[in-house]
Amino acid sequence: MRSRLWLELSGFTLLALAVAALPRFISDFRARELAIVGMYFIALIGLSILTGYSGQISLGHGAFMAIGGYTTAVLSVNGVYGHQIRDLWTIPIAGVIAGLAGLLVGVPALRLSGLYLALITFGIAVSFPQLPKKFDHFLGGTTGKILDLAKPPFGLATTPNNWMYYLTWGIALVLLGAAWLLVRGKTGRALKAIRDSEVAAASSGVKLATYKTLAFGISAFYAGVAGSLYAIANAYVNPDVFPIILSVYLVVGLAVGGLESLVGLIAGAGLIYFLQNHADTVARWINQLPALNLDPKQPGIPSMIFGVVLIVVMLLLPTGAGGVARRLFGSLTTRFYTRS
Amino acid sequence: MRVIFVCAVVAAVAVTSAGARPVATPGVSATEIRLGSSVPLSGEAAIAGNVARGIAAYFKYVNDKGGVFGRKITFTYLDDGYDPGRAVNNTIRLIQQEQVLAVFSSLGTSNNLAVRKLLNDAKVPQLYVASGATTFGRDYKKYPWTLGYIPPYSEEGELYGRYVVKNIKKPKIAVLYQNDDYGRDLLGGLKRGLGSKVKSIVASVGYDPTSADVQPQVTQLKASKANVLMVFAFGKFSLQAFNAVSRLAWKPQIFVNDVSSASALMAIVPQSAANGAISIVFGKDPAAPLWRNDKGIKLFQSILRKYGSSVNSRDLQDGYFTAGMATAYTMVDTLKKAGKNPTRQSVMNAATHLDEKGNPFVLPGIVIHTTPSSRFPLTQVRLQRWSANAWHPFGKLITARPG
Repeated sequence: MRSRLWLELSGFTLLALAVAALPRFISDFRARELAIVGMYFIALIGLSILTGYSGQISLGHGAFMAIGGYTTAVLSVNGVYGHQIRDLWTIPIAGVIAGLAGLLVGVPALRLSGLYLALITFGIAVSFPQLPKKFDHFLGGTTGKILDLAKPPFGLATTPNNWMYYLTWGIALVLLGAAWLLVRGKTGRALKAIRDSEVAAASSGVKLATYKTLAFGISAFYAGVAGSLYAIANAYVNPDVFPIILSVYLVVGLAVGGLESLVGLIAGAGLIYFLQNHADTVARWINQLPALNLDPKQPGIPSMIFGVVLIVVMLLLPTGAGGVARRLFGSLTTRFYTRS
Repeated sequence: MRVIFVCAVVAAVAVTSAGARPVATPGVSATEIRLGSSVPLSGEAAIAGNVARGIAAYFKYVNDKGGVFGRKITFTYLDDGYDPGRAVNNTIRLIQQEQVLAVFSSLGTSNNLAVRKLLNDAKVPQLYVASGATTFGRDYKKYPWTLGYIPPYSEEGELYGRYVVKNIKKPKIAVLYQNDDYGRDLLGGLKRGLGSKVKSIVASVGYDPTSADVQPQVTQLKASKANVLMVFAFGKFSLQAFNAVSRLAWKPQIFVNDVSSASALMAIVPQSAANGAISIVFGKDPAAPLWRNDKGIKLFQSILRKYGSSVNSRDLQDGYFTAGMATAYTMVDTLKKAGKNPTRQSVMNAATHLDEKGNPFVLPGIVIHTTPSSRFPLTQVRLQRWSANAWHPFGKLITARPG
């Protein structure tokens, strides 16, 4: 087991080095795009702990992102007693508030499972965006809240986009490390046991209530951090920034990344961003095929492309990017493990 | 613990290693001027995205004729689905990746409000905003890089108010309005126009721009027994309002705000409700019989046929395309005025010193005029009435210039 630890640690270091070096090779705007991919990645790690490890399905994680985003917006625009808080410091607060909301949702989740739980969380995703409209003096209503554009703090000589990139991926790496520690230890084993059979887990002494609620709380914390970063990067929140479809995208990203693969989720995050913002590029690629002439600007074409690509990806990679990676490297690494 | 430590160190190293980057050059090269826009090509307001397709066709036509001082205009328009969050993302993409000289004719009140601050902070012109919210022309001291185009909604509302006072005996007015700056501006203007008769508004109901259907609101309004209905609603909501009026067999005098009065929309709603509806007009409507042989409309149709992408016969009758071309015409004028080597500043100067006569896509006699302290380019309109499947303008040109 020891060599497996070192293998994973060195993999993590490689990833971190790649993350640190990448902005030197890409344009400033790509750095911004990758920052947003990083935010989806953070949210997906959280969702993976909940769905991949503890087996509870959530179709409402967009709502937790919204809680995080709105927390940041309110703290940095309205402030507390008139003191506006720097966007950077609102991130942990946003995470904690979303996490608390997650714990609250986790309580009814104890009594429900599978489809019913998914419906409850979906209800949250549907109803939550209505709240800012109800309290529009405080939360900005449909018009939303406009934040200041993110600026690098402490006089760092870098562009706002590079700053967002490093901030997001720095946080993402730390949270990835934390999630990794969590799932490879006692908690992870307990969560997996619950996923595989609640009865068996309970009879082996796993406290169902504690762990299931905890999984919700942690996962909502991750979503809250992601939402907060999203608000900072876009300098804007309104209910449409966190639509119902966002929750669905997250589940899609989780499936594409692989339910149990933390690093594979980067692929999932990349795909959600790419298909939302670059479906027209895909349309142009498809136009290379004979007898096809899609106008990427025609209404509906981007959504159609999104659907088609998704179906193709799920047909080809039913276990997600993580599953493919495991198949590719599996034989190699098992040899490593058995030798130790 | 060790792992968290490693992660933290790596993150810290990553942040501090970030290097400086060169400042972006704003969208003008020896051969090219880059402009960009964020518009709905999908979602409930998708039909209005045709404005951008009209603009794109017109710029291609101008490029074919040699461009502006030898430079071709590259026009990038991105879909935001009428969602302000995506408009922000698009606008950042336009400034940073497409490196546009100016953001031009982005559509929607909330969408433009969402990006106004960041465009002004970055000193990028936000030109000829496709929204009549009064704030875009009024608050230039705070947002000097922003400029509207179409008549301000508040003045439009005021015109309807004045018309009601003058022409309708014992009016009882019901108002359906979109609950944002766009709808509220129209409602506020209407109240001003009614003056002492403001009490004749017997009911006003707002709807949220993300709602599914406005039939409940219309039902509520009908219950007020009003004989006048103001439809200050956009896109599909306006359609739904007409449908609901017809379904409820209600017969009020309808006023429909300009941005929803496209013939393409009016032709597909139940005519029992649409007939007799009143609106304002400033652009030539390619579907109106009045302009069938007009030079401007002929030009519009020939440009769209030649340069438009996947254009069908309905598009040739679609007022959103003409509106786009009208704006594009003014934009080309602005670029010419901005000099042989335009900068963001010189474009802004040109845009605030407009005196454009003879734009072929707007009503004859309209002068598109701005000064640095009067930033409402288009403030002359006529009233029009819908009958026999077409709009018919009536009365003289009237001014809708604020204050």
